[in-house]
Amino acid sequence: MSHPEDLLADYIDGTLAERERAVVDTHLEGCVRCGAEIRQAEAAKTALSELEDVPVPFGVAGPVLAEAGRRFERRRGVAWERFQWAAGLAAAAALIVVVALNVGGGDARNAATPAATGASGGAGAAAGAEAASPGVIHFAGIEAQRNVDYDDAGIQAVAAEAADAVVAAEETKAPQVAFASAVQDSKERTSLAKDCVQHSGIQGPQDVLIRLIEAEFEGTPAYIAVFSEGPGAGQAPDHIVVFVVAKDDCRILSTASQRIPPG
Amino acid sequence: MPEPPARDEDLVRRYLSGDRAAFAALVERHERRVYNLALRMTGREEDARDATQDAFLTVLRKLSSFRGEAAFTTWLHRVTVNACYDLLRKRQRAPLLDRGEDDRPAREPPPAPDHADTSSLSMDVQQALLQVPEDFRAVMILHDVHDLRQEEVAAIVGVPVGTVKSRLHRGRIALAKAMGIQQEGRASGEPGSAGSDESPGGPGFGERADAAGPSEGTVSP
Repeated sequence: MSHPEDLLADYIDGTLAERERAVVDTHLEGCVRCGAEIRQAEAAKTALSELEDVPVPFGVAGPVLAEAGRRFERRRGVAWERFQWAAGLAAAAALIVVVALNVGGGDARNAATPAATGASGGAGAAAGAEAASPGVIHFAGIEAQRNVDYDDAGIQAVAAEAADAVVAAEETKAPQVAFASAVQDSKERTSLAKDCVQHSGIQGPQDVLIRLIEAEFEGTPAYIAVFSEGPGAGQAPDHIVVFVVAKDDCRILSTASQRIPPG
Repeated sequence: MPEPPARDEDLVRRYLSGDRAAFAALVERHERRVYNLALRMTGREEDARDATQDAFLTVLRKLSSFRGEAAFTTWLHRVTVNACYDLLRKRQRAPLLDRGEDDRPAREPPPAPDHADTSSLSMDVQQALLQVPEDFRAVMILHDVHDLRQEEVAAIVGVPVGTVKSRLHRGRIALAKAMGIQQEGRASGEPGSAGSDESPGGPGFGERADAAGPSEGTVSP
């Protein structure tokens, strides 16, 4: 007997045309094997359709966004160099014109003013909180990401990701353990890193440490400490502050902050 | 009212023309789907995390060559499935010492003891799923768990639709066997033997699956 195997998946999905469905039904009347297969496949499909999505653990996107930031900055760097090169050509051309004018005639006073270089204020640390704010993210231990090299954009991404996680934790009301899967269970290394962070003087008495990463920052072995800050008085944190300190002498290498949107 | 969300393809264009936040938006939008696909494929939270990161890093690297011929999601799924294949292969090659006493993903303890869906039922299904050959597993997860149409699955996996149908049916039977659901009126074999069989779905399994397409383990990007 030939079995209509190529029709059975669609038969179970309910997507067969009526005529084909009739073919299968007729076949099933006389074929024990296909009948049994259909029952098995239906049970499997039902079991699969009942599998539910699980939430993505905190920290999965961090290294990806850090790499995206690095690539972006590199591209921008190339664009900036090209711009400078083009600007240099333009300046040279302008100079030629000016020289030509000077040679040609009047002794025009040079009214050129040097361009003011207005450096806008960077992302500094948020002002210290007055009172302890409860962390909704539980600190689980140090994470080893030693093959990851962060830069300022990556640190900012870490801050943004932490802010999102705080919001998510507040929404679910369930305290999340940060990065459980990535954590290396080493109490020694965790306390070593915590000491370094404390030694650097960045941690205010009210800051709540929610994440600690061992990685590199622009090629320097570093600890990345993520704190939540709040207005105190038992209120939810409203800022994430990230500090990067060098592993060797605990000096501050970089910082980023991110506002937590009110829930 | 907020604006309607941007299309994936528009986000790609925006990222390529200098809008850095557009990539983060893509990641945020698809992270959950990619992670869950990887979790079902590999069965381990740690592997799912690695595969998710590998997939997005591949997307990042190749974004500038994404021409929009396929939908972005099709491409993303393809990259994710490939990342899972690579990871599973790596795991199988890894020395036993690195992996504990048993390095077969199919025999690993179920993932994610802290996740919400760890009812014994879904753990059983996940365990059984790992005993189904990868090519069949991928097709079933995409179609039966993620509700993608057979045509989309075919585009993702890179085989004809007929092959998807065949893999779907054979894979479902293999899964049922791995779950201990036997054909009625027959002496049951050892439960869980389906995945290690040469022909997990019974007679005709191999030929049918590969008749219409190459028996690839990797989907070409």
